[in-house]
Amino acid sequence: MGEAHGTPPPPHSPVEDVRMKFKFAWSAMLAALLLAAPMFVQAAAAQPAPRRIEVTAKRFAFSPSEITLKKGEPVLLVLTSADVAHGIRFKELGIETKVGKGQTSELAFTPEKVGTFVGHCSVFCGSGHGGMTLTLHVVE
Amino acid sequence: MLRTILSILGASSLVVLLAGCKADPPGKGEVAIMTWAKHKIFVHNKSQRNPLSDNAAGVSDGKEAFSHYCAACHGLDGQNTGVPFADRMSPPVPSLAGKDVQTYTDGQLKWIIDYGIWPSGMPGSKNTLSDDEIWSIVLYLRHLPQAGSLGEPEMYTH
Repeated sequence: MGEAHGTPPPPHSPVEDVRMKFKFAWSAMLAALLLAAPMFVQAAAAQPAPRRIEVTAKRFAFSPSEITLKKGEPVLLVLTSADVAHGIRFKELGIETKVGKGQTSELAFTPEKVGTFVGHCSVFCGSGHGGMTLTLHVVE
Repeated sequence: MLRTILSILGASSLVVLLAGCKADPPGKGEVAIMTWAKHKIFVHNKSQRNPLSDNAAGVSDGKEAFSHYCAACHGLDGQNTGVPFADRMSPPVPSLAGKDVQTYTDGQLKWIIDYGIWPSGMPGSKNTLSDDEIWSIVLYLRHLPQAGSLGEPEMYTH
């Protein structure tokens, strides 16, 4: 008798079941991402621009030779050489940049530790090279 | 005490005597006396320890610093490779990998780099190099590469 109603719809195979769930999960994630996207953009825009500090390197001193920074505040140190090649390296902070003769280079970082850090010229520049330092005071 | 004073006087008069001489290579006796006098009397700072830790990064820093200021006379390898006048100086430029140099303590090597050795050609580098750079050079001196393995200093190759 039952056969008179034609072929019944085939039951879902377990493999197909898993596929459907997978598809649903993907769609949900995609939707969530699309919804959240404007928030990411907003967050990026809300981040303050790093504080720009210009430093000139000239045999055998940095000018200014001391800088006070706030812990956690992003900094962009713009180093310009007024004569030969120089560099600045803060060994304790693990950061360094080098600058060619008469050129400018940038060093972006965010101080995370409070204290005084002495950076040295990292490109040999002559008789006073060893005493060429830039001191960072990082305060709360 | 008396022995020390006598040694200082003896070695000093020898140095004064030799200072007036022609720049001939020193004889074996002179070398022996001066090596002894340097290790025991003239070169101070025997007990200071190297504050840098002995690791690859430190040695690499030392190699870098050495290549700027020291390589002109000592070669990149500290063994005079490619230095055209190394054996024509009086006293000749020593191999830094040799026993006479390696038997100095780290503190003494730092002192020598700081103040130089008069009346040899070795100049002092205090303030020309930072303390950190000098200590890293001391580290490099303890890990010198095979002689000749770094080639010749650029200044002598063109």
